[in-house]
Amino acid sequence: MEREKIAQSVIAVTARELNKNTDQIKEEHHFAYDLGADSLKSIELVAAFEEEFDLDLDEEQALKVQTVGGAIDFFSKLLPD
Amino acid sequence: MKSYPLSNVTEPNLIKEIFPYSLPPFIRFENNIKETIDGIDVEFNPGQVKKRDIHITDTTFRDGQQARPPYTKQQMIKIYEMLSRLGGPNGVIRQTEFFLYTINDRETIEGCRELGLKYPEITGWIRANKGDFRLVKEMGLSETGMLTSSSDYHIFHKQKQTRQEAMDQYIEVVEAALESGIRPRCHLEDVTRADIKGFVLPFVQRLEKLTENEPEHLKVKIRLCDTMGFGIPFPGVGEPRSIPKLIWRMKEECGISEDRLEWHGHNDFHKVNVNGICAWIYGLNAVNTTLFGFGERTGNPPLEGSIIDYISLKQDLMGIDLSVITELTDYFEKEIGAHIPSNYPFVGRNFNTTRAGIHAGGLRRNEEIYNIFDTTKLLNRPPRVAITDKSGTDGVALWVNSFLGLQGDEQLTVMKVAKIQRWVMDQYDKEGRLTAISDDELEEQVKINFPELYRQYKAKN
Repeated sequence: MEREKIAQSVIAVTARELNKNTDQIKEEHHFAYDLGADSLKSIELVAAFEEEFDLDLDEEQALKVQTVGGAIDFFSKLLPD
Repeated sequence: MKSYPLSNVTEPNLIKEIFPYSLPPFIRFENNIKETIDGIDVEFNPGQVKKRDIHITDTTFRDGQQARPPYTKQQMIKIYEMLSRLGGPNGVIRQTEFFLYTINDRETIEGCRELGLKYPEITGWIRANKGDFRLVKEMGLSETGMLTSSSDYHIFHKQKQTRQEAMDQYIEVVEAALESGIRPRCHLEDVTRADIKGFVLPFVQRLEKLTENEPEHLKVKIRLCDTMGFGIPFPGVGEPRSIPKLIWRMKEECGISEDRLEWHGHNDFHKVNVNGICAWIYGLNAVNTTLFGFGERTGNPPLEGSIIDYISLKQDLMGIDLSVITELTDYFEKEIGAHIPSNYPFVGRNFNTTRAGIHAGGLRRNEEIYNIFDTTKLLNRPPRVAITDKSGTDGVALWVNSFLGLQGDEQLTVMKVAKIQRWVMDQYDKEGRLTAISDDELEEQVKINFPELYRQYKAKN
């Protein structure tokens, strides 16, 4: 999948789960510090990514991802063109 | 000051030689314990405990029963049978003692005997009264305990006697035991509050003299009764509260061998279990216990605690079947209606239940992080998690995986159980809940969120 398409999906899911507008979300944003995701919300966000991309993620690796850009890179590697 | 550089190892040092996990953690000694008695330096070699015939004696039916409504005959026979299986064929639970005064007491002994079990051996308990030997003889017992109170609190204030009168009366009863061919076991009541040099040592020396020419099976046994829990286990403590000094004097100054010495404690100062294990270490062989520590006031050494200490000292199960502890717990709670505190070690409902999310996270990654030993294999009690607002998504994942019996790669991640955790948090944040989530409620959530896994679980169970 193209990185741009993945980025759109990651930003859309993040906005929906964290009650933000998509234009408020930047790649450099940290889920917890900039977007206010607490520990449960962070897990729910990863669960939403799993649904969006139809994946069963490795828990340890998935929860290491801290930023929007990191998530885009993470899924870009998992979902090659 | 000695400097210790960091040892930055690549593999963890889990110190398995002490924490094998397949058994309770081992107690390994590295040096002798030093004590000073009458100005003389003496040493105890604690490592010898591994080689000695240390064992447990039980008083669940005697001291344990004085603190609660009487057990029925059927209950006592059932408990006796379970004690036998728990202690195993080597007689780690060597003896158990019974009252002899009621028909129920005597019929119970008959019922236990009919089981034909080698251990625990059945002994009696009588007051220091010559006439009571008729009961011991009639029951055909070879050994009986008898009350020989040793402190002036008892001699002067309870028995209204002089020391000489008390000693003479006790000796008379011991002589009656010997005449009847019954081994006397003198219970030195309140010995940790007694005048050791002025009464205890003269009395025990006279007892030893009395039976020195008797065959081994009739030689007097001494039970050191820490009736009020005043005993102190560490060296350097003055008498009469010092346990090491008392045991040393019994052996070295009275000639009572380790196989004829027993410790009987009480928990008034929270030292009951450690005092028992220390008594073993200081050189006597028998520690007297009750199941779950039930006993007068604050209770006795809990048998299940002493048996775990026994394994830790021996570094071997020695034929013990620890899973019977869990059977006994179920029996006491469900059949007898006894209350066992939920946090009571080894037996309480929550003894290996974690409520903290951070601990649940550790348990999920490696059970050994937050479980004391393999409680699943040894006690038939897998570690559990109780779900509250503090147990976290890790706690929910642990609970759900444990409930569904999922192993390895089958296990659900925290992402998969996030919806249940959200429901849990809503209970507290939105509903104002103050109690833990029950197992039934969690099962219902599993049913809603994982219908296929739940169907498979129900088909298997």
